[in-house]
Amino acid sequence: MTQVATPASLPTNMDRLELAFDGTKYKVERRGDAFFVRKRSEGGNSYGDAQQIVLVTGSHTLQVPWLETGQGRTLEQFPFAYIVAEKMWAPVTETFLMPPGLKDYYPIGAWNGACMDCHVTQGQSRFVEGNKWDSNVAEFGIACEACHSEGGQHIALNRNPIRRFKIYLTTKSDPTMTNPSRLRGPDSALACGQCHSVWAFNNMTDKIDFNRHGSGFRPGGHDLAQRFVVQPNTSDHSDQKDFIRRTEPGFFGNRFWGDGMIRVTGREFNGVQASPCFRGGEFSCISCHEMHLDSPGHPDVTTWARNGQLKPKMESDAACLQCHKDMSARLVEHTHHPADSSGSRCYNCHMPRTTFGLLHAMRSHQVSSPTVRESTVYGRPNACNLCHLDQTLAWTAEKLHAWYNQPMADLSRDDQTIAAAVQWILKGDAGQRVLMAWGFGWESAQKIAGRDWLYPYLIYSLTDPYAAVRFDAWKSLQTLPGFSNFSFNYTVTDSVLSEAAGRAYEKWLHEVRNPNAVYRPETLLDSNGRWQQDIFQRLRTERDDKRILLAE
Amino acid sequence: MRRPTPRVRTIKKNADRNLRFGWWSLLIFLSLGGALETLHGFKIGWYLDVGNEMRRLMFTLAHAHGTLLAVVNIIAGLTARNIERFELRPSISSALIWAAILLPGGFLLGGIVTYGGDPGLGVWLVPVGAVLLFYSIARIALDLSKLR
Repeated sequence: MTQVATPASLPTNMDRLELAFDGTKYKVERRGDAFFVRKRSEGGNSYGDAQQIVLVTGSHTLQVPWLETGQGRTLEQFPFAYIVAEKMWAPVTETFLMPPGLKDYYPIGAWNGACMDCHVTQGQSRFVEGNKWDSNVAEFGIACEACHSEGGQHIALNRNPIRRFKIYLTTKSDPTMTNPSRLRGPDSALACGQCHSVWAFNNMTDKIDFNRHGSGFRPGGHDLAQRFVVQPNTSDHSDQKDFIRRTEPGFFGNRFWGDGMIRVTGREFNGVQASPCFRGGEFSCISCHEMHLDSPGHPDVTTWARNGQLKPKMESDAACLQCHKDMSARLVEHTHHPADSSGSRCYNCHMPRTTFGLLHAMRSHQVSSPTVRESTVYGRPNACNLCHLDQTLAWTAEKLHAWYNQPMADLSRDDQTIAAAVQWILKGDAGQRVLMAWGFGWESAQKIAGRDWLYPYLIYSLTDPYAAVRFDAWKSLQTLPGFSNFSFNYTVTDSVLSEAAGRAYEKWLHEVRNPNAVYRPETLLDSNGRWQQDIFQRLRTERDDKRILLAE
Repeated sequence: MRRPTPRVRTIKKNADRNLRFGWWSLLIFLSLGGALETLHGFKIGWYLDVGNEMRRLMFTLAHAHGTLLAVVNIIAGLTARNIERFELRPSISSALIWAAILLPGGFLLGGIVTYGGDPGLGVWLVPVGAVLLFYSIARIALDLSKLR
């Protein structure tokens, strides 16, 4: 959502903020309730003209302020984002998974041309010329009409109290308003999917219409009007998808795994729509989530907001057992794990954390079953090895064959001898490495795979070229004994990073490491906790350095 | 010493009735105020959550109107006792008591079950009580004016 920048909506202590990025220093000043930014080059003598911070876009996770430009309503990004949980500012480019050295992710006008498509209610970009926009919004926040459709008639008719009480006492439903909980599953989910999906315009005419007049979709509709939900492997909109492939070659790779499963957060509708559950016509976002805390049993607003805005108990198997009622009686038979273990939790196997955004891994919303093939062919960490971090792909293949009769895969020697997670964090691409950097801090996985051997991998990842990997390695390292207060700045230069990682390694090796710890050979650590250097160095050199940019 | 006439006795009886009702009503609605403060003190979600704003408003109005109308009943009783030639008619006495029941009672009932931004059905008692209150206050004002 977007808010007008005020002392209440902006992070605290912003009036004393001084930051530097890419050769420019930024100084924030407060005048009354307004905040202004002045810039100067690092070699320069004085700060330039003040630009007012007018809006702030984000959520309870990350906030990005926007500056006036003097060009109509065109906005410029303040190049830093506020990470709410850490109470810290970081360059925006280092709060996404994007190649190092990329300096300008949101150019001037990006808010008008892209962000406001979803971060306001009924935005109209209204491009004028050059880099000038005359944008309008119905409301800055994600307000009632975003999910319940237009409210003009509803408001007019319901001025009559007799009408209101008649509805309360009879149908309890007002036909002048859309209620997603009363829609069929696909239509209900599309109300969320109008933003929470990868979408594209049908054609240039629709794009111009969207830009001028805003979205033609209204909740309750069966399609996105001027837009369509982009699923790489479906047969619809093939001309448009071919056009995208030609004009934006990285479009699909930046958003989807090779088999078409969504890999970025914020686009959950793509996953929901591709799930087998969706075919029943009942399954939708509000099967598990709710937006109003209507249900009894909510802990508190903060917990609800931090827990994916789930309904009470929906963080448990109850979410799936709403439909799969018979499964609770044969849970262990199905999972082959103890009933009270993390291996018997539906989410952990069928919605593993294989999407990434906002600096953390999130559960995939495409309900699926784990396979070795998804890892060997498409590179996506499978659910088994996301928990059994110390096991090989061959081990997983054997289990899946024995338990679910999955075909045995033809696996390389490394896949038979080295833990899959070790391979992903050392030689995977940045998308795999960041999932591992986050996953090594997952408590359930630590309980299963042990904690002792995770330290050197997380410390090693503190120097990863991708800032998001470094951030998650740092946060995961803080989950381990002896490092809970480990302070680390993940946005500094390579030499400072190396120095910090070196100190952390020495601390682990000499102060924290349990001398009696036993390391499985699949972890590549010898009995002294040191890497088997030949294999370790080989895997490092094999690292997949293709540029990864996850377009959240 | 002269014995009061039956008419005077009736007037005094009405005044006493409003006085008694007023003091008991004051006790009840001040207690309600204490109960509402307790709900605040223990941060009871049923009363304080954002989604229960209508309940909070209704209960607050019930407390305020109940207390105020209790005082109005006491003042009406004292007025009848102390102003010579002023008669608190039985119909006015009753209307005042019923207004003091229906008005805050309607708010109270309307707050127990709410419909989002609307109070429950009990709130329809409020306009009935308001009419009775308006009638009784207007009659008292007129009757007092006639004494000049």
